[in-house]
Amino acid sequence: MRTQITKSLTTNEAIVVYTIVALSLAIGFINPAFREFSTAITLSRAMLVTLIFAVLEMMVIVSGGIDVSFPAIACFSSYATLRLILAFDIDSVFFFYAVAGVMGIAFGLVNAFLIAKMELPALIATLGVSSVANGATLAFLGTKEYSNIPEGIDQLSKTFLFSYTNSNGITFQMTSLILIPLVLLILAYVVLRHTMLGRGIYAIGGDRFAARIAGFNVTRIQYIIYMTAGFLAAVGGVTYTILMRQGSPQNLMGSEMMVIAAVVVGGTRITGGHGTVFGTLSGVLLIAIVQNNLIMVGVPTHFQSFVVGLIIVLGTGITSIRAKRVANSSKV
Amino acid sequence: MSTSFLRMESICKNFGGVKALQNVDFEVHAGEIHCLAGENGCGKSTLIKIISGAHQASSGSIFIEGEEERRLTPIGSIKKGIQVIYQDFAIFPNLSVAENIAMNSALMQGKKRMDWKAARAMALEAMAKIGAHMDPDMLVERLSVSNRQMVAICRAILNDAKLLILDEPTTALTSYEVSMLYEILRNLKAKGMAIVIVNHKLEEIYEIADRLTILRNGENVATGPLGEFSRSRFIHCMTGREIIDSLYEPEISAEPILEVQALGREGSFSDVSFTLNKGDVLGITGLLGSGRGEIGDALFGIYPADTGTIALHGKPITIKSIKDATRHHIGYVPEDRLTQGLFLTRSIMDNTVAASIEKYFVKGRLDEEKMDAVTWEWIKRIGCVASDSKAPIRTLSGGNAQKMVIAKWMNINPSVLILNGPTVGVDIGSKFDIHTILHEFAKAGVGVIIISDDLSELYYNCNKLLVMEGGRSSGLMDTKTLTEEGLASLLHGNALEK
Amino acid sequence: MKRLQIHTLTKDQKNNIILVMLVLLIFLLMTILSPRAFLRPANLKGMAVQFPEFGILSFGMMIAMISGGIDLSLVGIANLSSIVAAVVMLQMGDSVFSIVLGILAALLIGALCGVFNGFLIGYLKIPAMLVTLCGLQLYSGLGLAITKGPALTGLPEAYGEIANGSLIGEIPNTVLIFLVVAVAVAYLMRSTIYGSHVSFMGTNEVASKYSGINNLKVTMYTYIVSGLMGSIGGILISSHYNSAKSDYGKSYTLLTLLIVVLGGTDPSGGKGNVLGVSLAVIVLQMISSAFNILRVNSFVKTFVWGLILIGIMLISRIIDTREKQERRTQ
Repeated sequence: MRTQITKSLTTNEAIVVYTIVALSLAIGFINPAFREFSTAITLSRAMLVTLIFAVLEMMVIVSGGIDVSFPAIACFSSYATLRLILAFDIDSVFFFYAVAGVMGIAFGLVNAFLIAKMELPALIATLGVSSVANGATLAFLGTKEYSNIPEGIDQLSKTFLFSYTNSNGITFQMTSLILIPLVLLILAYVVLRHTMLGRGIYAIGGDRFAARIAGFNVTRIQYIIYMTAGFLAAVGGVTYTILMRQGSPQNLMGSEMMVIAAVVVGGTRITGGHGTVFGTLSGVLLIAIVQNNLIMVGVPTHFQSFVVGLIIVLGTGITSIRAKRVANSSKV
Repeated sequence: MSTSFLRMESICKNFGGVKALQNVDFEVHAGEIHCLAGENGCGKSTLIKIISGAHQASSGSIFIEGEEERRLTPIGSIKKGIQVIYQDFAIFPNLSVAENIAMNSALMQGKKRMDWKAARAMALEAMAKIGAHMDPDMLVERLSVSNRQMVAICRAILNDAKLLILDEPTTALTSYEVSMLYEILRNLKAKGMAIVIVNHKLEEIYEIADRLTILRNGENVATGPLGEFSRSRFIHCMTGREIIDSLYEPEISAEPILEVQALGREGSFSDVSFTLNKGDVLGITGLLGSGRGEIGDALFGIYPADTGTIALHGKPITIKSIKDATRHHIGYVPEDRLTQGLFLTRSIMDNTVAASIEKYFVKGRLDEEKMDAVTWEWIKRIGCVASDSKAPIRTLSGGNAQKMVIAKWMNINPSVLILNGPTVGVDIGSKFDIHTILHEFAKAGVGVIIISDDLSELYYNCNKLLVMEGGRSSGLMDTKTLTEEGLASLLHGNALEK
Repeated sequence: MKRLQIHTLTKDQKNNIILVMLVLLIFLLMTILSPRAFLRPANLKGMAVQFPEFGILSFGMMIAMISGGIDLSLVGIANLSSIVAAVVMLQMGDSVFSIVLGILAALLIGALCGVFNGFLIGYLKIPAMLVTLCGLQLYSGLGLAITKGPALTGLPEAYGEIANGSLIGEIPNTVLIFLVVAVAVAYLMRSTIYGSHVSFMGTNEVASKYSGINNLKVTMYTYIVSGLMGSIGGILISSHYNSAKSDYGKSYTLLTLLIVVLGGTDPSGGKGNVLGVSLAVIVLQMISSAFNILRVNSFVKTFVWGLILIGIMLISRIIDTREKQERRTQ
């Protein structure tokens, strides 16, 4: 029991949590505004879409792959669906998510075919798909940004779970869209931890060949992974559109970098096989705190990108070195 | 009379035009340990794959518990109670012990949910059965090779295994771990399980087996109780020739090439001393973990020694890195040819010059013609069968490829050449060629050290021997004063006492 | 024996012949479809100014890939080093000395970024993909921190001449620089000890270690050279616009990856050649300007690049499996 506790205190996840606590204390000390409850609301909003992407990326990386195509897929499917909605005057949230979701799954199918069936390197395959999806969005769907989101759909961005007024009289409202990543996190936890499908994802990431011998249908699981990733990318894209109340063909492009970093900082090994939902949540939280509060502690805006880069290098470096140490440590 | 669990009659298997197995009969009884022996490429693994359902026999019949099996599939084979433990165990390093043990049976039952409690209980039960003690929540990546093997055995016996097949189970184990494994296998045998061990090491076979089947060139050359096999019959069956080997007896020379004094590396080996004179071939043996391979790693600077002195041609040298070793012209033919020795997709020429590319950098460019010429020179000198120096080296057979790994090092004009398991997976013809050429090199003044667990290889090819046990050396011995059996008992004597 | 080998072409040679045919095909097609626009000196010159930028970056990517890694930070290195060069030149004023110093500073930064990448990859053994992905963020971020956002302008006019002028006759300087770099890289990879070592390491890292090759040193050199390629690319980009910014050339990462794969470099390491990559650069530049002339929406390019990348990978995968099957049946 005692060893159990010490073990859980030195995991990657635990270290990220310590860092978050230390960082929060430091920021709170420098800037009292951070100590207010409103911070939680601001952070939740900032993390909302990143969390959706991080869950899908974590799942893909655990299986031994990588997906850099999700921003492009998210943009394509949400933007294309929005244009349909505007063109035919379909004011339905369900339609938005469902049609975009189907498009996302279609892209995921392409990824899966290239990676599982043709056995191309995941990075290059998804980079190619990313380019195709992004190019298609801009070339065939246009570059215009839409802010005339239909009333019914737009309503979702104005529904709140609760609101909070701080000492200065400013009101903060918790968007109900936060439920999407919350439900997703719980679902991902249950699937990855308590179903054979989930364990199969870990098994493939640990040893593809052994997984096949054990009786997993490796190709099928990979298809499920990449198609789910495509679907979640679309969900993320639609959620972002509703949250921002604006449809844009490429404002999510480039977010893959930060998402991969958050996942790896959260203890997921880039080589596959290891990673948890809780770790991913803490990784996203850590990066969100850094990104959102650098100004608060007096880091100039133009330095932010660099500081975030530095933290990512440190975070990923530490994770990789720890993984290496485990590999080299004496065995029992 | 014990009952027959598996009976195979006149099994044939063809791959394209190649006859991998010809009319092989094979029978395993419940409650026996049956050794399947044979040199590499004799058809052992093909036979195992047919039993496990991975391959289909081209002709012949298979009976399991008296019932004929017309088409054996991998799942069907498992359902009949056949479990194979492969050399790499096929386990997941990133998952816990419990999960590894329980996963296969959960998959077999087509479960959709992962039941952690049940997995733990199953793991504990399986471990209790074989007397293993591991934390079920520990990740397998933190386990030693022998404990990983325990995990694989636990997993295998969970599925009501009636026949357990182990493919070369002792190659990566220390002597103590081997004796533990054998203890477990004897227990399982006592419970009525049939066990097949694939092995080619004579000493280990004599220790554990009840019966023995020897394959050669895809044919069953002998089957019977262990008692029917004398040493010489065993070797004759394995190799197909009479023992004509004579000892290697070089001209005695007092000119030292390599002098090693009290060499040691913490946690690996200590106090190893020997002198290698001109003409000497030194053999280093011992079980895995005894420090035999580690001495080679230390002399080549991979895991450098931290105590002791090394002198080359009378001058003291220090070896702290691979670079130091190559600077002093020490070559190392590593244990695992495929991953450590060869650049599989590169040409024979590239592989030959890989360690000596500096020699061909003349007047600001690499002299490719010279590289090609030298490659052909080695191909001829070392007796490699190759028609094109530009063909990828993976097109060569194991023996020919190994010859070129040796050529790679000979091409640096080595003062000392260390070979770790130089004839593993090499056919008999090439084995003979390799030994001959090593003797030639030794006579020409190259210090040759052979690290091996193949005792007859060492006995007949080295004039000096060092037996390692638990990191300590026996001291340098003259081969002439030993018999092969004596050497075997030196190697295994202490291991049995534990 | 020798004669036989001439008839059996290697895979590289086959790939290069296909690329040459592609160049000719596009050239022919364009001279037929739109001879005036395509053969116009302005168009040829426009192509000549552009392709060396990503062409040189591609060499960096190629070297990293041959070593068994990848360098996704090239564009970041390019921008950071050109920004530092710009800062140096803006400080030193308008003189030849200042330009030389600026260029040296750029090269130094490129090499330093390479040292950083190489150390993390070779010594700490962090996967190259992760290191250089983080590196991209880090170097661009540093560039942004220096420029504070907008482009640094007001660089010496002579600096702009590097990319936009022509020293020898009508041949643009950029083409000369590209040729010099191409020859230098080809020499490095084909005729030096380092070149052999890097491709040995890329083929099999462990065997390379066991052959006495110092993998750490080779990895460091590899990323230093690719960092230098990044900074040369950066100099050309900033000279072309006569300004420096932290987000120029964003599309080049994908483009360089596409080029090296198209040029016959093996994504799993060990194989690649300068001629193939150079030909791939020309093919892509020609497609690109063909698109411009035919007034195809420039975003279609991104779409087509992706398709080509996937297509090439698929074709070579299918050929590979077919060859494997043939070998098995033999």
